[in-house]
Amino acid sequence: MPIYLDHNAGAPVCAEAAAAVARLSADMGANPSSVHRSGQRSRRMLEVARAQVASIVGAEPRQIVFASGGTESNNLAIFGAIATAARRRKIISSRIEHSSILAPLAELERRGFDVVRVAPDSDGRIDPERVLAVLDGETALVTLGLANSEVGTIQDLAPLASMCATAGALFHIDAAQAAGRIPLDVAVLGCDLMTLSGHKLGAHSGIGALYVRDFTRIAPIMFGGPHESGLRAGTPNLPGAVSFGAAAEAAMNALGAESVRIGSLAASLFTRLREAIPGLRLNGPMTGRLPNTLNLTFPGVLGESMLIALDLEGIEVSMGSACAAGAVEPSHVLLAMGRSVADARSSLRFSLGRNNTAQEIETAAAIIPDLWRRVAAAEPLSEVGAR
Amino acid sequence: MRPRVLVAMSGGVDSSVAAAMVREQGYDVVGVAMRLAPEPSAPVAKRRGACCSHDDFEDARRVAERMDFPFYVIDLRADFAARVVDNFVSEYLGGRTPNPCVMCNREIKFDRLWSRARALAADYVATGHYARIERAADGRFHLLRAADLAKDQSYFLFTLGQDELARTIFPLGAMTKTEVRARARALGLATADKAESQEICFVPDGDYASFVERQSDPAQLRPGAIVDRDGTRLAAHLGVHRFTVGQRRGLGVAGGQRLYVREIRPASGEVVAGRREELDSAGLVASRVSLVDDSLALEGELSVAVKIRHRHCAIPATVRVDSERRAEIRFASGGPAVTPGQACVFYRGEEVLGGGFIERAIAQEQVN
Repeated sequence: MPIYLDHNAGAPVCAEAAAAVARLSADMGANPSSVHRSGQRSRRMLEVARAQVASIVGAEPRQIVFASGGTESNNLAIFGAIATAARRRKIISSRIEHSSILAPLAELERRGFDVVRVAPDSDGRIDPERVLAVLDGETALVTLGLANSEVGTIQDLAPLASMCATAGALFHIDAAQAAGRIPLDVAVLGCDLMTLSGHKLGAHSGIGALYVRDFTRIAPIMFGGPHESGLRAGTPNLPGAVSFGAAAEAAMNALGAESVRIGSLAASLFTRLREAIPGLRLNGPMTGRLPNTLNLTFPGVLGESMLIALDLEGIEVSMGSACAAGAVEPSHVLLAMGRSVADARSSLRFSLGRNNTAQEIETAAAIIPDLWRRVAAAEPLSEVGAR
Repeated sequence: MRPRVLVAMSGGVDSSVAAAMVREQGYDVVGVAMRLAPEPSAPVAKRRGACCSHDDFEDARRVAERMDFPFYVIDLRADFAARVVDNFVSEYLGGRTPNPCVMCNREIKFDRLWSRARALAADYVATGHYARIERAADGRFHLLRAADLAKDQSYFLFTLGQDELARTIFPLGAMTKTEVRARARALGLATADKAESQEICFVPDGDYASFVERQSDPAQLRPGAIVDRDGTRLAAHLGVHRFTVGQRRGLGVAGGQRLYVREIRPASGEVVAGRREELDSAGLVASRVSLVDDSLALEGELSVAVKIRHRHCAIPATVRVDSERRAEIRFASGGPAVTPGQACVFYRGEEVLGGGFIERAIAQEQVN
């Protein structure tokens, strides 16, 4: 079995979600919108799942809209929000967001919207003052990630809620990486919209959700039946929702103890690697970070080579984002934090999760320094590119 | 532990079969596709033959899945741009006709890819080249032409030395293309009937002149005059990079007899045209000469056959290599047009002894 350290890309399906979907698969699988009793049973399962998901962010079940994943939820939040604020043409975000926010914003820019992307500091933190400085009566939406997927920096977003409310702008938080890893409460954060993703916290992929505080402030982007309070047409993905509900409940039950356990595993991995690899650098802040995420710059090597060498030894990590042809582009997050392209190309993301054991981390910590020495000796950066 | 082999896979039939064969031979196979050229920014019509496209990599990935070995796309775009494409452009700007496949083998497949192989603890690199490697009883390695002479690619591999050959596997060297295709079909490989790739992958439309112009500063271009052997101006031209020694078409010279490019003088921008028979040369001077086996005694003259273009037949010649790794090659009888920038590869029978890059022709004694 590989040592899987790529939970920010997708967590393995947890036992609770697998069992819930197995139970559902043995059932009729009727449409939750149908009037008959099989349909009613499906509807009940859907609503149980909705309540389970709502409870991890402190929301009312009716405020949770199921969608196909974090990407759809972000698209719904962004395009749905601007549809109700026709006069306002400004959207504020940051340079370190996920592609499912950056790409919709680039599209809106092509359509003539004014998109402001706030720069982070060198630890990947967004200063709320910088957002406030550009927030005005023209602003339709402020959309920001709560925990960064690549470096794990957790933003201090709560101060923005009242500012957005005062300016009349909607406030959307992408919590895909935060949910199930740190305590979340929509009342504390004060956001209007919040994106959640199932497979990041142990559900099957293909399910996500959008928390909507007030349904009058958002319009659907897909049209069809009156499902999901009229905001997301299409027969609900019942197995996905049931999986999401079970995984969310399991993650919430384990949250306190697990974040301490995973945090100490990550800390011990970093300590061991730092002792063995001179010049190893942690990207992101020392505190105020996701406990499971370590983004590390390995001196003198290509991250791509390290990634493959690690995979051949059964240690699975990731870097940047893979483009269509499979080659890996340097992380836009690290570049926005002021790292050089060369440093970004030397960086890897380790993201731990519920299944990881102390033994696995011990094994990884023992293997990685040897691999780094081998790769650095065989393929020094001085030989890369021109000679 | 089984020896590990890094297999360079393009998604084409040759490298797919090569990978399948080393897998069947029991090696620990790691497949890699090299991303070399930048992705075209706009969607383009299907360009079969231009490699590095998404579809080609997916074909390679399918082969790896079917044969059950790991597969990765590796990004060598910066290396390829700096070591192959820039060289290609500067050679054309300097009035020479480069062979980027030779440079790609030397700089990418048997240098950068080899570093990557060591980084990944691989013992060997395998490619789908048609050429053979033999290990003699004395432990020395010999580079030989492919069994399928129509597909032979040994010309592109002359820069390999003993160290490279000791760690390289060419699984297709003893096979014909027909056998390779049959093998691909027998293995159920999706790539069995794919078209042949073309020679220069990063110029898929074959328009080298426009490519060089896009890649250079206009100030680097050398326009000038087409002149005859006496220096009489025949026409103007837009840049020496548009010409290759031996070329007939596109001279823009009206009338009379057929004219060919005899010589390119980048400093003055002159392109010297002449009649067919004026192209013939007595030999050539090559630089950056490398030998497959450095222990080969090259004192005095060596009788060999030389190939001065991939598609030419080898012709008898004598070679004399000096300590500066320059060689003087004299053809046994009148030789063909010599094109500076191309490779001159020395053969003895089936064997590649080495080669170099052509600097200039040695003119024939004036006989007419």
